[in-house]
Amino acid sequence: MKTTTTVAPQVATAGAFRATRRRRTSRSLVVTCSLAVAVCALFVLTMMVGSFQLSAGEVIASVLQLREDPSVDFVVRGLRLPTAASALAVGLALGAAGTIFQQLLRNPLASPDFVGINSGAGLAAITGIVLLQVSGVAVSALALAGAVAAALLMYVLAWRDGVAGYRFILIGIGATLFFDGLIGYMLTRAQLSDARQAMHWLTGSVGQADASELRLLLGALLLLLPTAVLLQRQLRALELGDDTARALGIRTELSRAGLLATAVVLTALAVAVAGPIVFVALVAGPIANRLLGPATGGIIPAALVGAALLLTADLIAVHLLPTALPTGVVTGAVGAPYLLWLLATTNRQGAGG
Amino acid sequence: MSSSNNLARRASALGPGLAVLCVLLALVAFLSVTLGSRSIGLPEVLRALGNLDTDGSINSTVTLELRVPRTLLGILVGAALGVAGAILQGVTRNPLADAGIMGINSGAAVFVVFAVTVLGVRGAGVYVWFAFAGAIAALVLVYAIASLGREGATPIKLALAGVAVTAGLASVTTGIVMTNVETLNELRFWQVGSLAGRYAPVLTGVAPFLIVGLIASLGFGRALNGLALGEDMARGLGQQVTRTRAAAFGVVAVLAGAATAACGPIVFVGLVVPHVARFICGPDYRWILPYSMFLSPIVLLLADVLGRVVVVPDELQVGVVLGVLGAPAFVGIVRYGRLSEV
Amino acid sequence: MRAWRPALVLTALSVVLAGCGSADTSGTTTAASGAASAAPAGPWSFTDGSGKVVKADKTPTRIIAHAGEAAALMSFGIKPVGIYADESVKTDANLKDLDLTGIEILGQEWGKIDVEKAAALRPDLIVGDWWPAEKAHSGLEEGVDEKSKKLAELAPVVGVSQGKSIVDLAKGYEDLAKSLGAAVDSPEIAANKKRFEAAVATFKEAVAAKSGLTVAAMSPADDKVYVANPEYAPELLDFQRWGMKVINPDTPDPGFPYWENLSWENADKYQPDLILFDGRSFKPTSNADWGKKQPTWFKIKAAKAGAVVSWPAYWLHTYGHFATELDKLTAAVKAADPNIGD
Repeated sequence: MKTTTTVAPQVATAGAFRATRRRRTSRSLVVTCSLAVAVCALFVLTMMVGSFQLSAGEVIASVLQLREDPSVDFVVRGLRLPTAASALAVGLALGAAGTIFQQLLRNPLASPDFVGINSGAGLAAITGIVLLQVSGVAVSALALAGAVAAALLMYVLAWRDGVAGYRFILIGIGATLFFDGLIGYMLTRAQLSDARQAMHWLTGSVGQADASELRLLLGALLLLLPTAVLLQRQLRALELGDDTARALGIRTELSRAGLLATAVVLTALAVAVAGPIVFVALVAGPIANRLLGPATGGIIPAALVGAALLLTADLIAVHLLPTALPTGVVTGAVGAPYLLWLLATTNRQGAGG
Repeated sequence: MSSSNNLARRASALGPGLAVLCVLLALVAFLSVTLGSRSIGLPEVLRALGNLDTDGSINSTVTLELRVPRTLLGILVGAALGVAGAILQGVTRNPLADAGIMGINSGAAVFVVFAVTVLGVRGAGVYVWFAFAGAIAALVLVYAIASLGREGATPIKLALAGVAVTAGLASVTTGIVMTNVETLNELRFWQVGSLAGRYAPVLTGVAPFLIVGLIASLGFGRALNGLALGEDMARGLGQQVTRTRAAAFGVVAVLAGAATAACGPIVFVGLVVPHVARFICGPDYRWILPYSMFLSPIVLLLADVLGRVVVVPDELQVGVVLGVLGAPAFVGIVRYGRLSEV
Repeated sequence: MRAWRPALVLTALSVVLAGCGSADTSGTTTAASGAASAAPAGPWSFTDGSGKVVKADKTPTRIIAHAGEAAALMSFGIKPVGIYADESVKTDANLKDLDLTGIEILGQEWGKIDVEKAAALRPDLIVGDWWPAEKAHSGLEEGVDEKSKKLAELAPVVGVSQGKSIVDLAKGYEDLAKSLGAAVDSPEIAANKKRFEAAVATFKEAVAAKSGLTVAAMSPADDKVYVANPEYAPELLDFQRWGMKVINPDTPDPGFPYWENLSWENADKYQPDLILFDGRSFKPTSNADWGKKQPTWFKIKAAKAGAVVSWPAYWLHTYGHFATELDKLTAAVKAADPNIGD
């Protein structure tokens, strides 16, 4: 008797658990698919509007090279597609990187744009423009190196028996201040034309990318997004798992470090391509979690939200406002209210420090 | 027992220490009046100082009208930045807090850019009031944002609100200056922070704010000691945590706002010097504040004098010198400092 | 207003892009002005600043030009259909006094050109200065938005090389305008050049009459004063060629050789008889203002004597502007006392 009473609820729990998991899986599938559809729609929409309007059919036909019309091709493939693709890729990268940071550091405020990585990239890029007189791909390469170096520096500085979320964030903020100070100094050392180029880079805009940078980012996304998803799955299994998994503590650390490295590279590439664009990485993850309900933490949904946000921001920045503003300004305007809300509510979740 | 003995012994040594700092500051101030990118013989400097009136020669003009106000401004601004940094670090319990982190620089920059592009004003004398207003507005904004929610302005929320406001304002600033080449040119030089070219009008404009702020700040020692124990403990000791925090922010706004208005954003003094003061004095803010007040102008003036003599006939802005010298100090604090003990 | 009928524009576009330039004025945009309608049928060719010879079957009539270059073409009666500038056209030195009605503004920020709008204008020529150091035309340099560079795909780009003389630049645009069909010898258009030639003659005369007169080109700023290096300022090189003794500073900033930087303590290093004051920030009250603000500005004897004149720094493109500026300069030279400075 005794055994049955204990077993029955267990069975029931297991059944409920399985049911919940099924519900979660299906909800996450539905959400991911609808996000993907929304992103595709936005992607096409950004290519339809401009100084003259095109229909969705014309855009799709031109992108897929179904029809030859030189003037439409010039506008779509020559002018609009690179920008749209860059917004898409940068958005995906930032969304994914943001949610990885937030999960690993267990803090909704820990996004790569706040912990010194953007500023490190910015400092390296500006140094290149001003001191080394480089441009184009070299600037992007420097930004990439700067972001990775800043992330490594932060990791080393914040490391003390593991990387604690708050120390990492505080040190990141300090480093941001430091890098920004040096950027200001670099700007005074520049010729006015170089200073102009540097400021242009710093405003952050998805239109800056050239074809080779874009190809690099897209390639990296194809490689790194699945890697991140796999690492995350493994990490979850390890963290949720039994004693044997816990005994493999080293493997957990390795997975964490790998995941963090993936996020850093994604951020670095995104900054290298589009300059520092703030707030997308911060808000994408939490919005995705909101949509996903109980099945939080998906990297792909967060990436899709990031892409949708950036495509929308670019649409607003370039077409809807009376004067064209850098994309970074618009994402800032979108991100600020969200941040307010986050700051206002974060304590109730006990994560505000 | 022995620890309180230690404290007492420490306190008895700290008083004379402060006097030593006073003498040091006087010495550095003397250096700042006698050394510069123009070489002027010591007798000539002394004669000018003795007469307290220019005899029309450029050397006496440089001494009395350039170096003396510059030195006085350096002392006041340095003291203000150091004290503001110390208070902020105490209130926010963030070892890396400094006025720059709280959005002050970006707020001042936005207002300066607005003044230049929209109102067409030029020159350090006029920027001052716009920068002051901008700095205070940004700080109030940061504090208001961080105060949202139940717990009020906790350290981490202050830091993040600061970063967020900085990022938002910076994107506005760059958005504006990109279409206006002249403003870009003005802004990038304002942004480094310099003591040069600010004379009597700037000094007399900001001095009252700085002096009042400095005097007021000395009253915060006990309250900061309470806050350092943690909010619950401070409340338990009967402190009005929220009110103390707001008052402290008010003083910081005046001090750092006026300093930034006068000289542009000067980095690292407010960040690094309070740590040095803490290293000397231990955790007692009643000592940390006056030590920061004397140490900071010493550091600032030394950096300024160095900047004047390394690239004659040109000068390096003091912000640049501090940037170069401050970076290693900063790394040291972060890595080896007792971060958790602030 | 600009409700383009997509089909119409696209047809027009495809015509241009297919490379057969039948200038079908379908009336959607204001066509080029009268001067261009008198354009010779072609074939047309022009030697670009880069040395490349650009050829077309037909003389271009629908021109998109960068700011100063547009002003140059307009001074010869060639009205571009579109202009892109590095800053607001209301503040750009070359454009601010021109009537730009009927001209599409394609950009008012460095690095950003609305190429879609440009394509809709169906240009057959793009005009921008050639910068030998950067090996690029204005607005298409490295670092601009990738999209902006596509402007070069709409039509051939030509420009006169920026370098050592404004006269060469103005002459270059005269040649370009002539090749485009401008009646450069018609009385009202040639008047500017005549005025310029007369201005040069009186300038040379005035300078020769004051053989001992030295000048320095200066730009005072809040924390230092800058002395221009003529080597990098084509108009100053022109002045030197015409006999004016423009001081070459002896230690230009190695990182930024456009200027020598002097701290305000050393503001009296050069004692010219006449100061050429940076025209980008010059107002009639500037000299007095700086005298009030910087105690050592009036230690430059010429400044004290009020021998200060605006210097058209780094923007001139046209005979007309140059003549106006030269006349001001000539008047200042005539009024100057060659014995003020050293």
